[in-house]
Amino acid sequence: MSEIVSGLLALAGALLMLIAAIGLLRMPDFYTRMQAAAKAGTLGILLIVAATGITLGSVSALLHALLASLFFLLTTPVAAHLLGRAAYLSGIRPWVLHDDLAGRYHPSTHELSGEPSAAPPEPDVSQ
Amino acid sequence: MNLFLLNVLLAIVWTMAVGRFTFQQLSLGFLLGFLVIVVIEPLWGKQAYTPRVWRTLRFTGFFLWEMFLSNLQIAYDVLTHRLYARPQIIAVPLDTRTAAEITLLANFLTLTPGTLSLDVSTDRQTLYVHAMYVKDRERFIDEVKRGLEARLLEVLR
Amino acid sequence: MIEWLIGLPTDTPLLAAPMAILVAALALAFVRVVRGPTIPDRVIALDLMASLVVGLLLLLGAVLDLLAIVDIAIVLALIAFLTTVAFASLIERRTRE
Repeated sequence: MSEIVSGLLALAGALLMLIAAIGLLRMPDFYTRMQAAAKAGTLGILLIVAATGITLGSVSALLHALLASLFFLLTTPVAAHLLGRAAYLSGIRPWVLHDDLAGRYHPSTHELSGEPSAAPPEPDVSQ
Repeated sequence: MNLFLLNVLLAIVWTMAVGRFTFQQLSLGFLLGFLVIVVIEPLWGKQAYTPRVWRTLRFTGFFLWEMFLSNLQIAYDVLTHRLYARPQIIAVPLDTRTAAEITLLANFLTLTPGTLSLDVSTDRQTLYVHAMYVKDRERFIDEVKRGLEARLLEVLR
Repeated sequence: MIEWLIGLPTDTPLLAAPMAILVAALALAFVRVVRGPTIPDRVIALDLMASLVVGLLLLLGAVLDLLAIVDIAIVLALIAFLTTVAFASLIERRTRE
């Protein structure tokens, strides 16, 4: 019974990670690719962790699984967040209908203001 | 927090009473201790342990469901031939104040459908979100604030 | 099939298909690493590859019934996270100058 459950969990997780990899290839720009990798990748690895915990079955394996899931839940979004910020600052323009971030970074200190600066905001880049 | 310690204590007492210190017995003891605390909590005066546990559980359920939906959405968009994403970058004003609250909100936002938090303004008042499936910006901001942020603050405060 | 994959007998044959899928995903992610076009693209692809290897290690631990491999997987995940963070700060610092 537990063998079948863990097999199904592992299968679902592996398929999600495959979807993340396909999304990485198919999505049109860096930010949409990152969305695919961050979401599908996180849930995929969580399901695989759960499958491993159930297969091994011992208390320490379950505790390891819990620890690992918390770790993935916290770190994957943080990595995506940092990389997204770095990519935006390094000048990769997003493929978007409307960009609230445009012109809000201070060019040299990289401070980010919450409101539009005194200069008029850039016009919408509709595509 | 006081009642949480009592709950842990009750769980340990349960394992002593049963005589087997295993993971299963410990969790069973914790559950039974929680039921006891539900009954006796009014005697303590004002303590908000059990409502808080309910809220945390509700938030966990809500979050897992959102995560499931977001993966379904991404899978559908990746695997079908047409691309449905119409991304925008949207500034969301924040009610969360401390660094921990903002971190958690940004993390959960990244894992819920169609959104990815990109950056927080230096004064911690605004979160910039990359959203893929937004039709109405005002409604999206409202949904984030009343859905995820309000629920998160309910749990944390 | 799984005996052929890892060369050891096991009693959890259901985990073979997920492992094969993870290897396929590894190849696809590698295509993105090679194609780029920008450095952040390569970094997310590498990050995904690291999580795929972590997944493979976890399943290998489940198949072989070895908890130590799970520990190795967690350490690898930690290193991958730190690498991504380091790349992000490197990319950002380079644009500041």
